[in-house]
Amino acid sequence: MTDADSGDPMAGALVSSVSTGDNAGAAGILVAERQRRRRRGGPRRRYSAREVGLALLLLTPSLVVFVAFFYRPFLNLLNWGTFESRRNGAFFEDVGLQQYREQLTSDDFRQGLWHSVQFVLYTVPAGMVLGVLLAVAAHRKLKGIKAFQAIFSSTLASSVAVTSVIFFYLFNPVVGLVATDWLNDTSTAMFAVSLSSIWQNMGLAFVIVLAGLQAVPDEVMEAATLDGYGPLRRLLRITLPLISPVLLFLLVVLVIFGLQAFAQVDIITKGGPVSSTETLVFKINRLSRPDNIGIGAVYSVGLFFVTLIVTVAQFVILDRRVHYAR
Amino acid sequence: MPADGVATLPSDDVLGAPEHELAAATIGKSGGRRTLGLFGQYGLLAVLATIVLAPVALALMQALSPPFDYINAGKPLHPVSVDWKDRTWLTGGAFSVVARTALVALALAWVQLRAAGGTMRHLAPLRAPRRIAAVVVGVVVLAVLVSAIWDSAFDRSGTTGWWWAAAFVGVAATQLIGLGVARPVWRPVLVSSLASVAVVTFATIAFGTIVWSRGWDQGDLGPAMGRSLTITILITVAQVITSILAAYAFAFLRFPGKTLIFAVFMGTLLLPLEVTLLANVQTIRELGWINSNAGLVAPFAATAFGTFLIRQGFRGVPPEIQDATRLDGYGHMAFLWRFAVPLTRPVIASFTVISALGAWNQYLWPQAVIDDSRYQTAQIRLKSIVGTEVANANVGVAAALLVAVPVVLLLIAFQRQIIRGLTAGAVKG
Repeated sequence: MTDADSGDPMAGALVSSVSTGDNAGAAGILVAERQRRRRRGGPRRRYSAREVGLALLLLTPSLVVFVAFFYRPFLNLLNWGTFESRRNGAFFEDVGLQQYREQLTSDDFRQGLWHSVQFVLYTVPAGMVLGVLLAVAAHRKLKGIKAFQAIFSSTLASSVAVTSVIFFYLFNPVVGLVATDWLNDTSTAMFAVSLSSIWQNMGLAFVIVLAGLQAVPDEVMEAATLDGYGPLRRLLRITLPLISPVLLFLLVVLVIFGLQAFAQVDIITKGGPVSSTETLVFKINRLSRPDNIGIGAVYSVGLFFVTLIVTVAQFVILDRRVHYAR
Repeated sequence: MPADGVATLPSDDVLGAPEHELAAATIGKSGGRRTLGLFGQYGLLAVLATIVLAPVALALMQALSPPFDYINAGKPLHPVSVDWKDRTWLTGGAFSVVARTALVALALAWVQLRAAGGTMRHLAPLRAPRRIAAVVVGVVVLAVLVSAIWDSAFDRSGTTGWWWAAAFVGVAATQLIGLGVARPVWRPVLVSSLASVAVVTFATIAFGTIVWSRGWDQGDLGPAMGRSLTITILITVAQVITSILAAYAFAFLRFPGKTLIFAVFMGTLLLPLEVTLLANVQTIRELGWINSNAGLVAPFAATAFGTFLIRQGFRGVPPEIQDATRLDGYGHMAFLWRFAVPLTRPVIASFTVISALGAWNQYLWPQAVIDDSRYQTAQIRLKSIVGTEVANANVGVAAALLVAVPVVLLLIAFQRQIIRGLTAGAVKG
């Protein structure tokens, strides 16, 4: 499973912010941990050999997988990027960093990157807005609200492949129920592909924002109402700032999803028309044959750094502006 | 995103608030919740629900529209222009499809409600998960088996009666899930049997479509679903076990280099499969695991996300329990399986469901390490169907919906666990 997660600090922040009334688990964890630390603050014991041995035994399965399928491949990719490969798949020549320089500035890489960014620009703002809209609409005490909440989160049941097939047929100009020509036009194809992801991400965005809203104490909203805040002002100036850690989390997740878009393109357009929807991952996937794996490695490393930089940038720029409750 | 920490300072701002706003707020009792009006609130919710459900509704319409054979006859595929033969009742087309499904669901729901002692005014008994499951599974079983009845009736293969009996037993069984709550025991059996006879008869006329079975056959979904199920189970079991073990070491054991090793675990979150794909495919090729379950499962046998989540759960276990069990002579493994795991069951359950969801929905990896169509997983199979069935939209869409059925069932059964897991981290859906 590829958890497009953002690492330890964010998960911790989220755990502390998303704790609803009926689900005290996450908050409970933090409180319990704090108490435990306080109580356990005695003098340091020495390591016991049995305990260390057991720990090693318990960690080994995971560590084997992580080394074999996460770290070693990554080091391999870094290395392969410096080799030009030939048709029969044997590594041909050590060209050093030159291949990195050439390929990362090539038109093809830049095109793939641009398409991925385009995809992010289409899907992320729409995803954030729809998530907030749905969650705000469904976060109220009404009869039957549970049914609406279930409907809003229902797109969680659809995988990328299923969604893509549905939209592929929906937009088909001949047999589609929403017959359009979008998928055959280089200027609209990416937008049409994005629509499928926007729809699919709605459930996730809704669930995440709703969890954030449910963690906001009712008293805060009542106080704001008594102080004369209208609904819109209350939303913009109180609700959204209060759930900003959740929004940051959602933003990071959606951006990472967007940068890694593959299945949508693979099923709906196969990269076309005229490679106008070839995202970075789509290009990488096609470069897996032995005769061009050197270039593929450079692209993969490029994707790694793009994802890393974008994610870190979001934290650095936005984290200071996010309001943490504790 | 509005930035400044405004949350704490409504009191500063209220001085600047115009009079009339204050007045409006005090008049509207509990404030903004009422400002839209009840009608407006439900209206907004209904509009949003329509937007969310529109693609599903259109897909269902497409999947249930019978005339895929009409492509050859040069007839359009829109369900609204269905030939007389397919106009099962009402006028055929979109309305009839929705109406048929809704009526079957309503019928089953009504049976459940009555058996639970509820009335139309008092719908609470229907909210029990088993009753919802009974209705949903009942509709699905009915749709599948009634298609078979129709199919056999259409080509006069003489098996209609058998399919009829199978549908009857199937629906009765699903209804028992929900009715089993009631006492005395003979009543649920009787009620579900009678209800299934009525509903199957009614639905045989209502569901006039063989698209589902065609989607299944032409898409060759059977083996693909089987393989998907296998790797989902393997990945989930592997992830849960490795995560529990590693989380135990991080939460309860003292060993040198703990922080460093934890960093090594969390560092894998920066290396998604999209990045390491090419090198991992190479590894699998070297191991000779292309087109094998081992190749599909191995890279996902451990996860930092799960380890983190379960470690957090373990940390909530009161230290007194650990101390007490140690005094009672329990070893580490006994403490882990008899106390730590049961005490953190909600967290582990959440992770298990999320993990299964992710495994079932995988796309990038299976398409990279499976190059023989006989070994495709269900999600990958969909791509081949899209490739070969461009014209037969309903077959393709029906196949896609069939692939989504297990996830829908998972979502209905474990909604709370899934939502808890998703909001504690995030997973590709």
